[in-house]
Amino acid sequence: MKIGLEVHVALPTRSKLFCSCSTEAAEPNSSICPICMGFPGSKPMLNRGAVEAAMGIANALHCPINRGISFVRKVYFYPDLPKSYQITQMEGAVGSNGYLAIGEKRIRIRRVQIEEDPAQIIRDGALTLIDFNRSGTPLVEIVTEPDISSEEEMRSFISSLRSMLYYLGVDINKEIKADVNISMAETRVEVKNVTGIKNMIETLRFEIERQTELIRAGEEIARETRGYNEKSKSTQTLREKESDEEYGYVFEPDLTVFDIAELKFNEPVYANDVAVGLANGTDVSPRTVSEIIMLDRDSLRQIERLRGRHSLRSIIHGIERYKKYGRAGRVADKVLDNIVLLIEEGKEVPKEAIVDLESGKEARVEYSQLSDEQLDELINKYLEENPALVREYVKQPKTINLIIENIARGNGLHPKEVARKLMPILAKVAEGK
Amino acid sequence: MTSYIEEFNGIEKPKDYYDDLFVQLEKLNDEYHAFNVINKDADCGFLFGTKANICVKGFETDAGSKMLKGYAPSFNATAVERMLSDKRFAFAGVTGMDEFGFGTFGTNTEVPARNAFDKEYAAGGSSSGAAVAAALMKYHVSIAESTGGSIATPAALNGVVGFTPTYGSVSRYGLIDYANSLDKIGVMARSSEDARIVFDRIRGRDEYDTTCAVEKITSERRKKIFVINGMLEKADASIKTSFEKLLNRLGNAYEIEHVDSSMMEMAIAPYYIIAMAEASTNLAKYTGYKYGLMAEDFYKQYNEFFTDVRENFGMEAKRRILLGTFIRSASVKDKYYTKALVIRSMLIREMDRMLKEGYILSPTLPIKAPRIADVRKLSPVESYSMDLFTIPPNLGGFPHISFPYDYVDGMPLGAQLVTGHGNDYAILDFVKSWEEGFEYRYKTNLGEL
Repeated sequence: MKIGLEVHVALPTRSKLFCSCSTEAAEPNSSICPICMGFPGSKPMLNRGAVEAAMGIANALHCPINRGISFVRKVYFYPDLPKSYQITQMEGAVGSNGYLAIGEKRIRIRRVQIEEDPAQIIRDGALTLIDFNRSGTPLVEIVTEPDISSEEEMRSFISSLRSMLYYLGVDINKEIKADVNISMAETRVEVKNVTGIKNMIETLRFEIERQTELIRAGEEIARETRGYNEKSKSTQTLREKESDEEYGYVFEPDLTVFDIAELKFNEPVYANDVAVGLANGTDVSPRTVSEIIMLDRDSLRQIERLRGRHSLRSIIHGIERYKKYGRAGRVADKVLDNIVLLIEEGKEVPKEAIVDLESGKEARVEYSQLSDEQLDELINKYLEENPALVREYVKQPKTINLIIENIARGNGLHPKEVARKLMPILAKVAEGK
Repeated sequence: MTSYIEEFNGIEKPKDYYDDLFVQLEKLNDEYHAFNVINKDADCGFLFGTKANICVKGFETDAGSKMLKGYAPSFNATAVERMLSDKRFAFAGVTGMDEFGFGTFGTNTEVPARNAFDKEYAAGGSSSGAAVAAALMKYHVSIAESTGGSIATPAALNGVVGFTPTYGSVSRYGLIDYANSLDKIGVMARSSEDARIVFDRIRGRDEYDTTCAVEKITSERRKKIFVINGMLEKADASIKTSFEKLLNRLGNAYEIEHVDSSMMEMAIAPYYIIAMAEASTNLAKYTGYKYGLMAEDFYKQYNEFFTDVRENFGMEAKRRILLGTFIRSASVKDKYYTKALVIRSMLIREMDRMLKEGYILSPTLPIKAPRIADVRKLSPVESYSMDLFTIPPNLGGFPHISFPYDYVDGMPLGAQLVTGHGNDYAILDFVKSWEEGFEYRYKTNLGEL
């Protein structure tokens, strides 16, 4: 089975790709101008920020960056397309011939291209309404080679891609949209415009079943474009025999060729690779680390900050605790420091403790409740097992603090409670020496 | 020759000058159809008209097409904006043209303009109204546009100067596209000096047009004039005779060299391929629901809906949409479109070499002004081949100027002078000195003081 994807990502620019209209308007048709409406006489002006963002993506996907970029017109008639052609890229794309690694495998990237989003069609009963606010907002299309060969690979490709985009600062609050090309046999079937990884997987499952069924029955699989229906979790024929022929691409003469050699872009972070590095030599699996940091640069920063002082397991545990109970979007350094300390003392850190820490108070932590006899027994056992520390104490009475800490932390006890019982015992033992 | 702009702005006008002028102009326009719209609000400044494919805010800018009937843009073209912000000028109105610029004689529109020298004759196209307006009125310049000869041709047929600047020296923002890589805004006037004044006013970088990047304009005089043998042969005998006389007169000041140019001789095909390919994408946007001609029945499938509306394109527009769409299709694209792009860059190299050394001079048209009735008998290919001389400089984006040099049977003849990219002032200078020994003739001098 061969799967190829054409992933569409909205670029994080404040203005549109070819005009200065805002990309953030809410009221329908409030952010439009002659350019994004395609009025006769208007011409596109290229948004530099969009090019830089696209270059960052192409670079992260290991595409050599083309020095001169150009655009083409892709002509088709649809009411959401005001010029009846979309300005996109082909040979003059920002980058081409790259790859994204998923584990050991590389999924080759054919092209990273900039293009404009069409307007949005809203069906309202018998009416078709068009909101042109979206018309001309910048997208990047990432075209893969058909190198993905399973559902699992598709899932990890999308999740690695999302993470890479996240670290580049490409806002992916909106779900990833993709055209999914699936060929079980020779013929390629394209399912257009599937939103989100969940629907992509449903699409794949449905197509595998449908195409397998056809092959089994000895029928031919038609080369066609299909659409995914979220309700029925199935795909239906949209157009038959889609080919490049109908798009009649021509060079976009209003934009010429841009030299982008001087433009700057962000360097990539590959969370999976970073996770492997962090997990190396610890008792935590790279997978656990990557799950935490894939879409969370603040957690990555905290891990890097604390890992010299604490175990990776405790740090991750602390981050998870905070995520569960914390009030702020991200944890303050001091709060996390205390959470991790408590964890390393062997405490379960409850919600109240985190609330206390966030309001600058001492944490209310659950300590083990032991009877005096149990406590005596524990202390005596510890002292028997650590005679060196006792000797140390005789010479240096300050050592008592270390002993208290070790016993308390090792058993989830309150240090004061330990101190109360330890002092007379230790005094006795010391006398004996 | 003086500048009419300077002359006009230097003298006191009678109190009712503009009111009287517009009364007469409307009357005359009923006969010649130079203007689609006349702006009777103009009351001071030298008048300028704009070709109907250059957007003027609030004025019907229909590009000669039924598809844009009633379309009044919400913005000014950059060139218009620059003219309007100069107190020396006042907007006179919108001049008629072949539909979307598709035509050599001005006849491809509902109400064609008539030749200013004889109403039975073609005005030339596609900037037909612009040429006629310049020839009818003494104090008026036309802002026009050329894709493959749309300024030079009507200028020649109406006995005015038609100046097409270097591609990319005047912003195309607000120009309704025919073929974006070929379209150039230029000027038609009664003197080269006026063409220069308007050119200087409208040219220069514009952030709204990426391709408008030529800032520096030079005036490097050439001592040599090239004449292309194989092309001159294709002109009518009477044209050749007159043109030889012109060469004789210029022979005193210039070295005339007859040469061959395979690239220039074969320029018609690649020109029409590129122009049609681009045009067919530019015309795709006219689907009858956003502006211009509006469809009435919205309860249809979209394909059916826009197909019905697009019935309203004229014959030549339909032909170019079909041919252009064919040319772009994947199976023949390399055979036509890609090859045409290659030939175009070869042509530019060849012409560049020649133009470093000298100017290229030719008749603007291979024929005398034809009667409108005869134009209608021409096949499309016969009509396209009339662009033989104007296409090479247009395809290469080279500045060129058509200037009147003779009158035969009462009708003017134009010659076309071409120079290298950015050397626009040189050809304006050339025509200026030509004008010193040449007397322009006009039938009417409307607005004369």
